[in-house]
Order: sequence, then C-alpha cells, then structure tokens
Amino acid sequence: MTQENEHMPTPSRLADVKAKVGHIPLVRKKQFIYSYLAFLAVYGIFMLPPKGSPSAIELLLVVVYYALALVWAAIIFSDELKSDKIKTVVAIGLLALLGWLYYQYSTARWSEMTFLFFNGDVIRKAWPYLVRGFWTTLFLAIAAAIISTILGLLLAVFRSFNNPVLNFFIILYVDVFRAIPIIVLMMVIYYALPFMNIRLSAIISGIIALGLNSSAYVSEIFRAGFLSIKKGQIEAAHALGLNSIQTMRLVILPQAFRVVIPPLVGNYVASAKDTALASSISIIELLKAALAQKALLANPSPLIFVTILYIVMFVPLTRYSGYLERKMQSSKRQINV
Amino acid sequence: MNKNDVMIETVDLQKYFKDLHVLKGINTKVTRSEVVAVMGPSGSGKSTFLRCLNRMEEPTSGHIYVEGIDIMAPYIDINKVRTEIGMVFQSFNLFPHLNALENIKLAPMHVRKISDKEATDRGMQLLNKVGLSDKALAFPEQLSGGQQQRVAIARALAMQPQIMFFDEPTSALDPEMIGEVLDVMRTMAKEGMTMIVVSHEMGFIREAADRILFMADGVIVEEGNPDEIFKNPQHARTQDFLSKIL
Repeated sequence: MTQENEHMPTPSRLADVKAKVGHIPLVRKKQFIYSYLAFLAVYGIFMLPPKGSPSAIELLLVVVYYALALVWAAIIFSDELKSDKIKTVVAIGLLALLGWLYYQYSTARWSEMTFLFFNGDVIRKAWPYLVRGFWTTLFLAIAAAIISTILGLLLAVFRSFNNPVLNFFIILYVDVFRAIPIIVLMMVIYYALPFMNIRLSAIISGIIALGLNSSAYVSEIFRAGFLSIKKGQIEAAHALGLNSIQTMRLVILPQAFRVVIPPLVGNYVASAKDTALASSISIIELLKAALAQKALLANPSPLIFVTILYIVMFVPLTRYSGYLERKMQSSKRQINV
Repeated sequence: MNKNDVMIETVDLQKYFKDLHVLKGINTKVTRSEVVAVMGPSGSGKSTFLRCLNRMEEPTSGHIYVEGIDIMAPYIDINKVRTEIGMVFQSFNLFPHLNALENIKLAPMHVRKISDKEATDRGMQLLNKVGLSDKALAFPEQLSGGQQQRVAIARALAMQPQIMFFDEPTSALDPEMIGEVLDVMRTMAKEGMTMIVVSHEMGFIREAADRILFMADGVIVEEGNPDEIFKNPQHARTQDFLSKIL
C-alpha cells in the first residue's frame, strides 16, 4: 500500500478504512442508508395525510417525517467520504421537500397566486401611479443625498479645525441624529412642528429628515477620510506656499474623496432604501403608491411588484458599493507594501 | 560681508513644546550661496530649528529675518515667505493622487499663477535635472524612495526658491538610493543654491558644506567649516558625537 492510499481514503477504498478502523459504523453502511431512504419513501406514500389543512395528529406526522428526512440528510452531510456533489443534491432535495410539504398542507391559495400577486391587469391600472411614486422615491433619494453630502462635508471640515466648542456641537449633532429613528424624525417635523407654526410640506419634511439623518453618517465618513491623510501631506502643501483653502482643495479633498467613495456609496444606498419610511407622512413615493393602489384595486400585485422593483434596484447598488470597497482595499495594500 | 547677502538670520530663537525647552536661544546667520549642515544627536533640536525657520513649527519667541524681513511680525503672510523657501522632508511627502509632473506643477500653477504650459516646461526641465524625465507620468507609489525624493526636490525647486531646507533627506532611504539623492544636492550646491541641510551624511557634508552647525540640547555648541570640525572638534559633545559616527 502506498502512502497516498493511507492518507486519502476514497469511497472505493472503503475496505481499507474497514481494515484500519476494524469495522464500518452501522450508519455508514450502504445497506443502512438505502433502507432508511426506502423507509422514507414508504412513510411518504402511506403515512402522510392527504393534501389540505391537516389536523393536529396529521401535522405531527408531517413534522416527524421532515425530522426523519433531516436525520438522513445529516448522515450524508457528516460523511467525509461522500462527495460535495452528492451533498449538494441532498441539500437541494431537503429544501424542495420543505417547499413541497408547505405547498401540500398550508391553507395558502396557491391556485390564485398569479391572479393575486402577479396580476398584469392590476399592474397596468396601477402603472401611472407607480411611475409617479418611483419618481418621488428617486427625488427623495437624490435630494437627501445632496443635502447630506453638503451638510456632512461642512461638518467634517469644521470638525477638522479641532476647535473644542465647535467639536462639542458637531459631536452632539452627529450623536443626536444618529440616535433618532428616521421615522420619528419625520413625524416630529411633519406632525409636531406645525403646532409651533413651523409648517413644512410632507415632501420637504421627508427630505429634511432623511438629509439630517444621513448627514450625521456622511460627516463621520468624511472625518475618517480626512484623518486618513498623513500630516506630512499638509506640511508639504504649506511648505510650497499653498494657503489653507488651496491645501484643502488641491491636496486633502482629492485624497479624502478616494477613501470615502466606497462608504459614501453604501450610505447613499442605505439612505435611498429609507425613503420608504416617507410613506408614513403621506408622501406618495413608491411604497405608498403601491399600498394605495392595493387598497383601491383590492389586489396586492402592486405591492409585490414594488418589492421586486426594490430588489432589482438595490441588489446591483449594494453589490457595486461592495465592489468599490474591495477595490479600495486592494489598492490600499498596493500603496502600503 | 555685505548685509544684503544675509539670507536668514535668527536672533534668540526659542521653542517650547509645552514644558520641554527644545530651542534655547539660537543665533546664527546664513549668507547667500552658503551650504550649512546642521548636525547633532537626536533630540538636540536640529529638526525643530529647521522647521521653525519657515514657521512649520511656531517659535515661542525670538526673531527670524529672511532677507532682512522679520517673518515673526504679525502682518507677515507666511505663505508668501514659504514660496521663497523650498523644503524637502525625510518622508518625501509627495502627493499620492498626482503623478510626478503634476506634483511639480501644482504649486507654481496655483501659487505663482503661471500657465499650464510654462509649468509643464519648467517641470520637465527639473525632472531632467534630477534624472527622471522618463518618470514624468509615474505616480509616487510607482517610484522608488530615491526617485520619490528626487521628485520632491524638483517639486521644491519649481517654486524657484531663494533657499532650500533639507530635513534628513536621506534618512528614510535604502543605502543604495542615498547616492542618487546626494548627487542632486551636490549639483545644487555647486550651482550656488543657499541650503540648510539637517543630515549626518559625512561625505556629502565634507564635500559640499561651507559650515557645520553642531547642536546639542537646544543650543549651537560649535560651528565652523567641516574640515576643522571633523578633524579637530573643540566641544566635548561634538567630540563624543563624532567619535560615535565616524
């Protein structure tokens, strides 16, 4: 026997393993695994209740069935000699079984799913409102991004002066607006301020609330960006006769922007998702439009449609910000090494 | 000596870092075209002295005259003064977001307000002078330490300063790169540039420096021409220091 055989047993060399261990455990024996599988098949055919809402005892039978299937799968998963391909097939089978059992015994109206969730007629009727809602969402997201960038950058610049009084107020601002949930901030601005005779339209309230919240995060991102710039850079700029404004504009900001772009994009994405909260102060953005149409047309398809739209919009954006972050990391490594 | 030939003069220059008395009254003059080497053990205040001369560090008291003008005066625009003083740092401090040529062009264009074309011409000339005309478009991270320091020298020269400060310009370099930087500095000295160099490069100092200021504990304990000081140091601190590095 060669060295290789000793160290890398393969399924076809079960005999070798047996020779070494002395015996193969019962659960690893082919006969056991196949008879277990046969037992599951028999159980599935004869013991499982008919389709429809099950009684308590019937439900117990279903749960026990799935538990037994889990045990069988666990035996496969824990076997080092089984290939990853087999384990993948078993895992998919396990998920499919769960789906099938739920489909069989839940009281959900599966047959009406297309009509209820993916109703083309309803979507067509709701379409103009959904489009308007989309533009409102986009407007909210962009307006909040612009406001938060300007505010956040200003706060970070003021913070870099390192004046203790200014710092106190900036830290207070950041802490307070990170602490207040956005929806609370919206409600305070839209529902409480009018009592003080400060009346802002819903859309302005929404933008302000999103902007204030996001600016707190943006200022911290920019601050980290400024801190990442070495003191020598500022000294070199001053030694060349650049004044403070030129140093900020030509040396600090261009370098800081490179560092902050990945977290900044991530922050904009998060902030854009938070626009859905504006539905709580009667802004007819995407979610509110879908809810209104759902109620009007007595069909939830608009809501499902909007959910899918959010996924389609934000999965690429979240991916993109993750990509930027990785790119940043690798370029940083290049510089440091 | 003509009074107009004095480039920099310090009178009782003092610097405290909180309670730490780093400079205890420095009085010296540097004349035009003079190359002055500042030596001394670490903690002697030599870097602080150099950094005080263009108010990179704010002196606590005393006077600094640059071409006869008191730069400690309250109405002085220190940025204007700094345009006449080139500075080269131990850690190069090139701007990493700009390539070699852009590093050199930045200050002439934004401070001296010269045209892009003029700045490019001047930048290429200087890169040629430091032997890096083929690296004009390279970013700092693509250059070796010695190359970065040569670009940094070119960047300082692009402002056409009256005087150049070097703060341990070769201390952060691998040994095989020190020579290329010192060669550039030697050429500058020969061309008559006024230079103050904080350095312990004995060979360079012996060859290029007109005078050594030897500092210890925040004062100049001895000064004179390199041959004299290296051969026959008078002060105990100088003798002790030189015996350790020679």
